[in-house]
Amino acid sequence: MADTEKKIKVAPVAKKVNHNPALKVVIYIVCIILTLLSIMPFVIMLVNATRSTNEIQAHAVSLIPSKYFFNNLKILTSKSFDPKVGFMNSMIVSVGCTVLSIYFSTLTAYGLVIYDWKLKNAAFRFIMAVMMIPAQLTTIGFYQMVYKIHMTNHLSMLIIPAIANSSMVFFMRQYMVGALPYELVQAARIDGGKEFYIYNKIALPIMKPAIATQAIFSFVTSWNNLFTPMILLTDQKKYTLPIMVSLLRGDIYRTEFGSIYLGLSMTALPLIIVYLILSKYIIAGVALGSVKG
Amino acid sequence: MKKKVLSVLLSTAMVASLLMGCGGGEAAAPAADDAAEDTADDAADDAADDAADEGDSDVVKPEDGEASAAPTNGGEGGTINLWTFTDEIPKMIDKYIEDHPDFPYTVNSTIIATTDGAYQPALDQALTAGGEDAPDMYAAEEAFIIKYSKGDMQDYAMPYKDLGIDVDAELAAADIAPYTVDVGSNTNGELDALGYQTTGGAFIYRRSIAKDVFGTDDPAEISKIIGGGSGNFDKFWEAAKTLKDAGYPIVSSDGDLWNVCKHDPGSKSWINEDGKLQIDDSKLAFMDYSKDLYDNGWSNKTQAWQDAWFADMSGASDANAFGFFGPAWLINYTIAANCGGEKAGEGTYGDWAVCDSPVGFFWGGTWIMANKNMDEAKKDAVKELIYWITLDTSEDGLQYKWANGTLNGEGGTKDSVASGTVMSKSDGSLDFLGGQNMFDYFVPANKYAKGDNMTQYDETINNAYTEQVTQYAAGEKSKEDAIAAFKEKVATDLGIEAAE
Amino acid sequence: MKKDKFKGYAKWGYIFCIPFFLAYAIFQLYPTVYTIIIGFTDLKGVTTTTFHFLKNPFENYSFILGNSMFRKAFGNTIKLWVCNFIPQISLALLLTAWFTDRRFKIRGQGFFKVIFYLPNIITAATVAILFSALFGFPMGPVNDILQNLGLIKEPYNFLIKKHASQYIVMFIQTWQWYGYTTVILISGVLGISTEIFEAAEVDGASGWQTFWLITIPNLKTILLFTLVTSLIGGLNMFDIPQLFVFGGGPDNATMTTNIFIYNQAFKGSYQYNKASAASMIMFVIIVVVSAILFYLLRDKDEAALERIKKEASKAKKQRDKEAAKASASAGE
Repeated sequence: MADTEKKIKVAPVAKKVNHNPALKVVIYIVCIILTLLSIMPFVIMLVNATRSTNEIQAHAVSLIPSKYFFNNLKILTSKSFDPKVGFMNSMIVSVGCTVLSIYFSTLTAYGLVIYDWKLKNAAFRFIMAVMMIPAQLTTIGFYQMVYKIHMTNHLSMLIIPAIANSSMVFFMRQYMVGALPYELVQAARIDGGKEFYIYNKIALPIMKPAIATQAIFSFVTSWNNLFTPMILLTDQKKYTLPIMVSLLRGDIYRTEFGSIYLGLSMTALPLIIVYLILSKYIIAGVALGSVKG
Repeated sequence: MKKKVLSVLLSTAMVASLLMGCGGGEAAAPAADDAAEDTADDAADDAADDAADEGDSDVVKPEDGEASAAPTNGGEGGTINLWTFTDEIPKMIDKYIEDHPDFPYTVNSTIIATTDGAYQPALDQALTAGGEDAPDMYAAEEAFIIKYSKGDMQDYAMPYKDLGIDVDAELAAADIAPYTVDVGSNTNGELDALGYQTTGGAFIYRRSIAKDVFGTDDPAEISKIIGGGSGNFDKFWEAAKTLKDAGYPIVSSDGDLWNVCKHDPGSKSWINEDGKLQIDDSKLAFMDYSKDLYDNGWSNKTQAWQDAWFADMSGASDANAFGFFGPAWLINYTIAANCGGEKAGEGTYGDWAVCDSPVGFFWGGTWIMANKNMDEAKKDAVKELIYWITLDTSEDGLQYKWANGTLNGEGGTKDSVASGTVMSKSDGSLDFLGGQNMFDYFVPANKYAKGDNMTQYDETINNAYTEQVTQYAAGEKSKEDAIAAFKEKVATDLGIEAAE
Repeated sequence: MKKDKFKGYAKWGYIFCIPFFLAYAIFQLYPTVYTIIIGFTDLKGVTTTTFHFLKNPFENYSFILGNSMFRKAFGNTIKLWVCNFIPQISLALLLTAWFTDRRFKIRGQGFFKVIFYLPNIITAATVAILFSALFGFPMGPVNDILQNLGLIKEPYNFLIKKHASQYIVMFIQTWQWYGYTTVILISGVLGISTEIFEAAEVDGASGWQTFWLITIPNLKTILLFTLVTSLIGGLNMFDIPQLFVFGGGPDNATMTTNIFIYNQAFKGSYQYNKASAASMIMFVIIVVVSAILFYLLRDKDEAALERIKKEASKAKKQRDKEAAKASASAGE
């Protein structure tokens, strides 16, 4: 340690020197291996979407596409799998959840970070506690409630609860503590900004990198959510894509694996697109982050 | 000040919701008597009124039973709600309505797959909550039918006789497989549920291997060799040795054999009269069977529904298994689909035959039942559908079409059905079985199976048991440890202590 | 003066937080309170809704705490979490260090970031199907590869071996979540002022030094977030072990506490009361561990600020006292 410090003092030009090229090679090799591991399931999924059920049953994993894509598509659409309806419902739920949870979580975090109020710490502790309750059991109470008030088959029952997303509040708060200086809010007040105006015009833009990351997670989670929608949505017109895929798997005695993989691919595709769109903000976050001074 | 208002608001909401929880639940139970119901509801009403600003007050009303008292959908043009887990029954009913345009109801199907574990919780919630969205007809499969026919949920099932079906006469006339009646009856012996398909099991073997090892592929002969119908496995193990000497395992997976052992007609149920866990001798014997299969190479150590298991169907294994235990659907939907061909000479197509299983059993099956709390006006229509599916023996009945594969035109998949009457006038011969009429063996198989020794805990107990048997067979632990671990698991998960 | 200004704004704190608490009260409060209460009752059975409070209110709790399967499940959960969190956070920190070090100029890092997160997009059910196919026995891709490489002679039945199935679950968890953690950490680094990095660069700090002395300390709030959420997620681990090797794996080797709770509540006997007690025990454990983490990683600046405030008020009091004394003595 002492040695390196000395070295730095001796050679302060180190920053101009290129890093060890061998290390750079190692970095690229690691990244490429991780890339292969990460895309493996997608390749298998897409390839299997073109294979027949019997081919898949004989060899579950293959990298060679086959010729049963249209056959699988035919089976898929004949089995109460309606991509259009499923896509619309999934979209409504996921976009609704994401927008509500992002806006209100950031709002709550802002309330917790910027203002000083008596119950502030109690409120934050409560939100943390909520986050820690094992969800397995409480969901049953929720189902019971929704059935009792006869609100099954309302997509809103999946969307509105997203306002209270404790772990996202936690993230937003943690991020805001570091990224939103109080002086900025003060300055805006002096300029005559109203509180909601300051939140919408100053706080939200600064939070963009955090919002982009959380938006992706929230969107992915609600897009893939299966169990709760499955219990609360019993009308086929309200089914989301994962429910439809689950129905394909429903008959274990004669499962059409080819069309299941096709269904899975179709479910994952919009997700990947949304992700790629949002990921632009993550990558471009450097500039956004530096707004703050 | 604000703090106080907030806490008052929260606690009011809390109390209201709690009372709502208990009271509401009670009210929803159909058997609850009116007095209890009223007080509970009043309490809930009061509390809900207190918390009116929480928007909860309208919560309590719908479950007062008004919804079912006043027909909301009665008469022409109403809707029957059907809950099931595959599109099989909805498609049948579509067909029925297509053929009977005068049927006055539309059928609204809710399909929730069982694979992700959501069907039962959703169905339970829907039945207990009641109201106009509640299921009028619902389906249950082997794994959980007992819970709905004679278990925790039996109070929601309407016995067939209350639908207006002359149960005894119809059962006799249709010659319904007795095990399906056993399974579908409630604790008072009334019939709650019946199926259409039957799943009595036989032994399905490869003709070429039979010829190679035993010199014959005649089902009657092979039946004798493996001890078909003998009620025990003595001859079966002799055959296993002979086959092994010739290089063939007798079965693919020990799970295939478990399907037989778990429904052994001679065995006692998992739970004794005192509500304690008992391990019947025939189930205990499965531990040794499994170990023998494993150690002696009498199986290919595969697992059902995995690649290697299917390989034994297409003949792609290094040493192909002699056969599978299974009902008719296993032949049509699984073995035929995975035999590697579509006509004789391709893959193993045509190289299969069916003979008696040494011990009777059944595997799978779907039962249909009606909701006790359904709208009075819908009863006749529900009866019409249930009768057509489960008891109608005419050529227009579902079962005739199902057995002959003609529901959607000629050439469909043939399957074994519940009515012996229908089977006797149907033709079950398949090219896949080298022209053999499979019904020759599945009709007696359906009679041979028994379903009176099942409990609603079977699925959980069976999984816990086979898990430990696998550990023992694979040499991971001793027999005693395996049994002790099994008992502990059942005691913890189900609260059922072991007898002794 | 300043205090008055603070007071004027305090109401906005309440206003901004109200939607959260309102939504919580409407949708979550009843289920949660109901769950807590049944832990002290005899409620079991799918349609039972009447229940009685137990004479010994902690009967269910003592049953769970004394139950060897619960203890085993708890041990498994800790093991599975720790052994997937350590490689996961190490990998994520390493990638963060590489990607945010401006002197490396890793090309295509946008691409890599996007790709690494992908395993988190697919559902647990799909992951489970894929991995059980990969580790199939006696034939399956992993067995084929290992046999072809000559590493094993006989096919190995991974899924009935306790340790093998635990390792696979750990691997899946790490594989699914390292990308998520990396993305979170990088977004945290992006929130740090670039000036600090520039200053460090000017001072000639090495990449390694910059990372440890600048990035990590400034990342503390986000690291705390990662640690706490991963802890909560880890102690509530359910999907992968449940779906991958059904309900607890070989000889319960991958049974987590949440699977234990699920089995109590929904398998056959519907022992809601015991499941509730087990949930609450887990809740208390998570709260305690998180509180410790919070204390260890607490925001030192904030704590310092609090201390200064306190000292200031103390000092003020002291001054007031002294002033009073002084005036008193002056009066004398």
